[in-house]
Amino acid sequence: MAISLKENIIVGFSDFWSRKVRSIITVMGIVLGTMSIIVVLALVKGINNQTMKWMMERGGLSKITVSRNWQYDKPDHVRNYFTWKELELIRSLIPEAKYFNPQQRQWTRHSYEDKDYRTSIHGVLPDFSKIEEWDVQEGRFISTFDIDQSNDVVVIGTTVKEELFGNKNAVGEVITIHGRRLKVIGIMAFRYMKNSGAFGNDNAFSYLNRRTFVPLTTMINKGTGRDNISSFTLKATDAESAPALREKLSNIILNLRRGLPVFEVESAKEEAEEMAKNQKMFQMIFYVISVISLLVGAIVIANIMLATIQERTREIGIRLTVGARRRDIFIQFLVQTILVTTIGGILGIFLGLSLLDLVSNFLGIELIAGIAMIFIALMVSAGVGLISGIVPAIIASKLDPVEALRYE
Amino acid sequence: MSNIINIKNMKKEYKMGKITVPALNGVDISIKEGEFVAIIGPSGSGKSTLMHIIGCLDKPTDGNYSLNDELVSEIKKGKLALIRNKQIGFVFQTFNLLPHLNILKNVELPLMYAGYGKRKRTRTAKKVLEEVGLGDRLKHKPSELSGGQRQRVAIARAIVNNPSIILADEPTGNLDTASGGDILSIFSDLNDKGHTIIIVTHDQAVARRANRVINIVDGLIQDGNIS
Repeated sequence: MAISLKENIIVGFSDFWSRKVRSIITVMGIVLGTMSIIVVLALVKGINNQTMKWMMERGGLSKITVSRNWQYDKPDHVRNYFTWKELELIRSLIPEAKYFNPQQRQWTRHSYEDKDYRTSIHGVLPDFSKIEEWDVQEGRFISTFDIDQSNDVVVIGTTVKEELFGNKNAVGEVITIHGRRLKVIGIMAFRYMKNSGAFGNDNAFSYLNRRTFVPLTTMINKGTGRDNISSFTLKATDAESAPALREKLSNIILNLRRGLPVFEVESAKEEAEEMAKNQKMFQMIFYVISVISLLVGAIVIANIMLATIQERTREIGIRLTVGARRRDIFIQFLVQTILVTTIGGILGIFLGLSLLDLVSNFLGIELIAGIAMIFIALMVSAGVGLISGIVPAIIASKLDPVEALRYE
Repeated sequence: MSNIINIKNMKKEYKMGKITVPALNGVDISIKEGEFVAIIGPSGSGKSTLMHIIGCLDKPTDGNYSLNDELVSEIKKGKLALIRNKQIGFVFQTFNLLPHLNILKNVELPLMYAGYGKRKRTRTAKKVLEEVGLGDRLKHKPSELSGGQRQRVAIARAIVNNPSIILADEPTGNLDTASGGDILSIFSDLNDKGHTIIIVTHDQAVARRANRVINIVDGLIQDGNIS
């Protein structure tokens, strides 16, 4: 003996339909609100993904980097580089580090026959390839033997290969770097990651493909002639132990420099956590803005519903007269409001999803939609209906039937 | 026949700001099942108030009202809605149809609140609309009908749940004489079928159709019964 929910939804629908223009205007705020929720959530997820991908591509979360602290203005007598001896000491103090790679770099000319190419050359240890998780695509990488013997060998990036050799075979050939003849033993694998931001190069890793690598000992002994090393990377056994190793290493280095922060020691894991924290903050800001815009929508809807109820006072009186209970009136108007906002929500979701590609192309960031965010958007839009509909529905259900029937 | 309506010393006051306006000043009425009663009186005499109270739309300030031997003041709100739905049918001077619904849907309304399914609703509403001669206008909106037709829709709505009492407030007030006559004939027919009819009016022509006329002036019954 009651009007069912299904009945109420049907009544709500026909009410919605019989007042098309008003319903559409009412719904606009919700459409835009849920649309922005979808786009923002997909954007946040896309950025998170992009950052993680970058981290993973650049050696993963167990990587630790030591480099000069450019923000610190060091006193003249303090060295801002490590000597070979210091590095040996550091290495012996952190046996738990899985891989260890000090490096030197220079900007110099590479030539082969009549071709010249200027780029950066890196003196590294075999561990470099393990730390960066970057192997050769042809030939081999620098070996321990090369280090021990200070061999005149070089491994080149794909861009260098193309610039100097074109389509010709490069492995086994000899190139001249800084007046010294070095044999090409390998070509590094081509690196690619889609550039976000869409400015300049499409490949975010094009700088890696332009590099060349030689044994660190060769570079020190036959090239620069100096054993000063200003940066090195290492790898913990896993991401979990990386922060502790970073802490330990940081203390060792501080001790070596009498407590002066000449170097920076960063762990990818902690950087990722820091980034995640920042992203959380942005996410919160986005959420707050979305919620505020939806609240504004809710207020508008509540206002329109109040006006609607005023307008339909007589109808409410008639319904009460023919046997509607107060609960029926309450549900009728609440269901109608929720229906309006949910329809708006669904429209907003579709609109948001269809906008993702556009936004993605515009920002150069991949946007990732998920079932969860669709669900969130739907719940939020229905929730807005509940919030904005409840007060008008209570007012409607409390009307005095006699007064309501007299209402003109 | 037993009394379907028993009213004893009923008073009703309206509060308008700080002023209290009396509408009914101690009314006693008994109406038997199957009667055709006209309540007549000038404007502001309290007859509409009386009808609202009889129809369980309003509550008296004081006095007793029992419907079918049940004290209305003791009935819960939810059950009052049920009484309005099943036992009482209302017909108003201004028809009070829902303008955005077609007449079939309008007549279905009490059936919907009674909890009947769609098919039964449509079937019953159609039948009743055919009885009042509007079987060919089911999909029309009220605005597409004449005053007399609209009032017939209102009557169809009032009787669709087969209530024992039909309350009408100036049902011919907005109609020309011919349409008004038709409407009154329908009421007579309904009365013949056993419905108790109570019409509030100030029109003597309407009153002449009734078996009994109750005069109300200044919230008081004037002279008992006129047959």
